Amino acid sequence: MNKAGSNPFAMVDEGPKPSDATVFPEDAPEAASAPHPSVEALRDHFGDAIVAHEVCAGDQHVVYVDPARNVEILSWLKADPGQHYDHLADLTAVDYGGGRPIQVVYQLWSIPHKRALRVKAELPLSELEIESVAGLWRCADWLEREVADMFGVVFAGHPDPRRILMPENYAEGYPLRKDFPLRGRFSRAEQTRRALRQNPEDDYFPAEMGDREPQLVASVADDEDDESEEVNHGD
Amino acid sequence: MGLDVPGIFGTGSPTFLTTKVDFVVNWARRNSLWPMPFGTACCAIEMMASAASNYDLARFGMERMSFSPRQADVLICAGRVPYKLAPVLRRIWDQMMQPKWCISMGACASSGGVFDVYSMVQGIDTIVPVDVYIPGCPPRPEGLIYGLMMVQEKISGESLTRHAELRAEDPDAAGKPRAGDAQVRDLTGPFGNSTQQNRLSGLVETDATERPKDRLP
Repeated sequence: MNKAGSNPFAMVDEGPKPSDATVFPEDAPEAASAPHPSVEALRDHFGDAIVAHEVCAGDQHVVYVDPARNVEILSWLKADPGQHYDHLADLTAVDYGGGRPIQVVYQLWSIPHKRALRVKAELPLSELEIESVAGLWRCADWLEREVADMFGVVFAGHPDPRRILMPENYAEGYPLRKDFPLRGRFSRAEQTRRALRQNPEDDYFPAEMGDREPQLVASVADDEDDESEEVNHGD
Repeated sequence: MGLDVPGIFGTGSPTFLTTKVDFVVNWARRNSLWPMPFGTACCAIEMMASAASNYDLARFGMERMSFSPRQADVLICAGRVPYKLAPVLRRIWDQMMQPKWCISMGACASSGGVFDVYSMVQGIDTIVPVDVYIPGCPPRPEGLIYGLMMVQEKISGESLTRHAELRAEDPDAAGKPRAGDAQVRDLTGPFGNSTQQNRLSGLVETDATERPKDRLP
């Protein structure tokens, strides 16, 4: 419990502490017992770009790659006939707090080989930018937008880099980072004011709103033309 | 010479029924309350159950759910409202015509409920004026029906002479928070929330409009 006189809410707002677990348990016994065919192939092909390899949850192989070469590695994993990871099951990010780098996680699944692989790229907090993989898997589009919204990771070359979850005028930071206070950074009054100041239609592209109005105007104009022609015929 | 016009009580002189205008107007209003369902969460499931045949809200005059706010009389906000949805709720309320009432259904709509977090409105009464709060997580259909009957009871007490006072609406207030800063503080305070705790912690600057640094030192 807290020491007498200390602030009871400090512990809550400080957020969780970094865990003592080792990040790269290279000597995990499972890794040696059941080698993953893609991991060796990746090491052969990309050498230094494969930073580390670990096994978690028994048989989930995790490969840490150089964030600068993520698209190169992932497109090889998708295209190579021996790998053929054609299904991006999930794309997310993890912040372990304590100033550690943010990990961008690609959870891959190969449908023909029935094989899973988790690829992680660690981004230091100072340069949270990584190449977008929306060109490889279309489903990465929204997932990358979500990661950008929640963690502040910039996905270079993303086809549609808008917010997806938070309001357009949101300015309190990135909610899923460990240092983000649970209730946000602004007061409730300021949050309420800002919420009502936003225009719900800001969240849409003009194209998404539908060009209904111009169409309507055009059709009305057409109808008028038709009528006038009919009137002329009548005369 | 007697008038031999047949009245509703048989032949004889025409019959009259005298009453107060207030009574007739309130009777008409309270027995044809069309709800505008604003369902965002599990409370909406209970609201749908209330409207379905087993509980049958139509018995009480909520004849149909009006999915257009312009034809609705009572806004039922059922479920949690995130800040991103707040302007939508406010706009729907502004679009409803007078006389109109509002029901806050369930813990989340009334106080934020367990969602005392960065993204959630801490009670819709900071956004729109609320007439009846229904507790529960979610309330049973009986709860919603009781809440609607409380609205009916409230309508019975209204008077046309107090129209300006009861139905006053400032057009400039459309789209603005209903409650001022101090009121929001008071409203969000007693529910285990939030702002006071952030203030006490000293770690979080409140009332700040500038974007703070993303990382604490």
